[in-house]
Amino acid sequence: MPPKVAKGEYIETDTGNKISRRSQIHGTQHIILGGKTVIQAEAVIRGDLYRTSTSSTSASSGDQQQSVSSTPSVAITIGRYSYISKQAVLRPPSRLHRGVHSFYPLKIGDHVFIGERAVVEAASVGNHVHVGRDAVIGSMAILKDFAYVLDGAVVAPGMVVPSWCVVGGAPARIVGEVGEGYGVEGAEGGMARERYRLVGR
Amino acid sequence: MSRPFPYAYISCPCADTPVPDPARKRRSRETSHKTNPEDSNLPVAQDYDFEDERTFDPRSPRSNFSLYPPEQLLYCEDCHQIKCPRCITEEIVCWYCPNCLFETPSSMVRSEGNRCARNCFNCPICTAPLAVTTLENVTGGGSQQGPWVLSCGYCMWTTLDIGIKFEKPTNIRTQLSKMTDSSRGRQMSKTFGDLKSPLSTYSSIDDQFPPNENKGDESNLPTDQSSGPLNPEARFQALKGFYKNQIAATSSSPTDPLADFGAGFSSPGALNRIMSLYTSSSRLGNLYGGANKKPKSRPPVMREALVASEGLRVPAPDAENALIRRMASDDCGWDGMASIEQRTFQSPDARFVEDLLPLPVLLRTKRSKRCKSCKHILVKPEFKPQSTRFRIRLIALSYIPLPTLKPLIPSSFAGLPPSSVAPAVTGAAAVPNLDALSPLKTVQLLLTLKNHMFDAVRVTLATPSVTPGRVASKVTILCPQFDIGANSDVWDEALQGSTAPGDQRASRSGTLGSTEKVAEAGKVWDKGRNWTTVVLEVVPGTLPGGATKRHRVKQQDNRDDDDSDDDDEDEDSNADVNANTLDWSGQTKDHSQQLQPDEDVLEIPVFVRMEWDSENQIDQEQSVGKGQNSEQNTVKRELAYWMVLGVGRISPEVSL
Repeated sequence: MPPKVAKGEYIETDTGNKISRRSQIHGTQHIILGGKTVIQAEAVIRGDLYRTSTSSTSASSGDQQQSVSSTPSVAITIGRYSYISKQAVLRPPSRLHRGVHSFYPLKIGDHVFIGERAVVEAASVGNHVHVGRDAVIGSMAILKDFAYVLDGAVVAPGMVVPSWCVVGGAPARIVGEVGEGYGVEGAEGGMARERYRLVGR
Repeated sequence: MSRPFPYAYISCPCADTPVPDPARKRRSRETSHKTNPEDSNLPVAQDYDFEDERTFDPRSPRSNFSLYPPEQLLYCEDCHQIKCPRCITEEIVCWYCPNCLFETPSSMVRSEGNRCARNCFNCPICTAPLAVTTLENVTGGGSQQGPWVLSCGYCMWTTLDIGIKFEKPTNIRTQLSKMTDSSRGRQMSKTFGDLKSPLSTYSSIDDQFPPNENKGDESNLPTDQSSGPLNPEARFQALKGFYKNQIAATSSSPTDPLADFGAGFSSPGALNRIMSLYTSSSRLGNLYGGANKKPKSRPPVMREALVASEGLRVPAPDAENALIRRMASDDCGWDGMASIEQRTFQSPDARFVEDLLPLPVLLRTKRSKRCKSCKHILVKPEFKPQSTRFRIRLIALSYIPLPTLKPLIPSSFAGLPPSSVAPAVTGAAAVPNLDALSPLKTVQLLLTLKNHMFDAVRVTLATPSVTPGRVASKVTILCPQFDIGANSDVWDEALQGSTAPGDQRASRSGTLGSTEKVAEAGKVWDKGRNWTTVVLEVVPGTLPGGATKRHRVKQQDNRDDDDSDDDDEDEDSNADVNANTLDWSGQTKDHSQQLQPDEDVLEIPVFVRMEWDSENQIDQEQSVGKGQNSEQNTVKRELAYWMVLGVGRISPEVSL
């Protein structure tokens, strides 16, 4: 994002989501945003990969965060105050089950930070999770609340990162724990509101 | 985990009190309760004066051990002190597997070797977690029944590579241990079981087993030469039991044979033996004490293990050659060898990739934390492994103001993580690039302190006008003394600020402010319900590449040396240190020019002193203070600590 932001870089929805016009969001009707979520430019969100045997590419234009109740399959859920940085990729996880390749929903909690160029294919990402720059979260991985993924880490498919744990490396291992004060509003891990506030100003 | 700029670390005062002396702690606690400034001629207060005179040097080797990010620090309400991970003790609340997040009861932890007893395994090749998958899936068969394997999703290793399949998808660990035991342990595990029996004495084993043993050896040796009759764990147990018996047999004081290693071989026993040498030389015959009791069966000296049941393993005569031949053969090669990292977690015999076994996941713990000096609990997490809540959590952030540092910039990136800002910023002139601060160019920074206490706080900041070290940067805090409001009801601010919330927010982040506001000395930049922002003016110094002055080099050398940091005889130690460095390096001329690692990082030490009136708690010590100022049942408190603000990295070239 250049420092001089063009007017109207972000679309702001009723619930306060700020979505860059230059982000690539596919299958919007399969995506639920919890509100006050930020999606930066060139982020790719693959809502079109939802759970059916046939991966259709129904690209009907709808509201960005409309949760269509008629189609029960939700591909991606993102909570409040989460932040998707530039060029990050969110893909629902997939698995070969009984010989059939099928997608599973990707759930992202509140106050989550996804770093630049990170690729997330997790099954679930808890609250207050930090995913560093260039990190890769493998398919069906589970990041519990307050997990911290260091920059450039590769979390192996199916890995579980417990709460308060710091993982890093390729393949990622638990290398430490964050302090007890992690996630306190305004401190490390609790900057989500401040981040949201400053977007688009 | 180094932080991106700008950051703020807080120094725990424990680094200055090397020995945790409870008496001293108590005294210092008393003085911290004293409210009158007249009391300053107490013995401990003089210590404090001494500490105050020193400037905290963020680059001193000792500061590595005292600087912590604010969220890692705790606060003890009884000691009224910041507590870092070094001044607490930990107690394990529960053990859990990080993979399946199930709890392991403490009684089971030891028997299971601190590892998960379920289906959680790590890949022996790459340490990624393994998944239980069925082979039928791969072939596309319909039935779910079938052999199961563990497979790694990261490096695509499966247990098929070492020829292991499982019949059930549950209890993989017991299945695996059975397989490895049966393939390597043979029927020897039975004799091992006998050996472990507490009733078995040394002599009985010796008498009973050699015939059995020899048979076993003969049957084993031809079939598998690489591994002995017992698997490594059983062999370790056998050896341990053997030596325990040996010690019990040979030690002069007959101890309980069931006691652990330490009891039989502890120093008092050994000491007794040595002492008896000197005291009664006539009793030399009694030296090997037990020898009197069973002189026939017991040898006078401790012997080594002789048979396989005692843990002895004799490798086949050509075992080494066979290994070398296998290494050299084409089907092994470099890729067939296990790396050192892989072998560290495996049995010592594992040399090839085929020998590596899946590793059960190591358990992790949840821990409660106590203050080391007063033993009060500071952190107590909830018992369940999955819960992220705490029953008790006394973090420093609820007591000390949370420092945040931002460059004063007329743009909208102030709150973003600098990693996302920095690349875009280089083009813009108005925004200082914190990863390459240009020397001698004034940078203005906003330091916000946010109070989380329910009492208003008066803060005094102090900083050396020139940062310590070779790169001397000038620092000015424009408003070193200010108040921070109490952390009262959130609605107060919301109601007050409802007229112009946008303005307030904007000025806080310095967006609108810079066009209207100019930083003034002696004035607070901005203020909110429980936070106050002041301006720091920093003139980054030049890096030593350009100017090399002798006294600066001296300072640098002084800093490198651990010992000479804290004592006052700088001149004496400097000469020695200089001589030393000259001796080793041989490139001292280059050395003075060269930057030490991270020497170009601009870090500002700031001394924070906060005062506040808190409600008196019913406390034994405070009853004294209560008598002195019993006006409003409040106690004046103060807390002082050093903090280090990491501003950025100074770029080597001077730009205008």
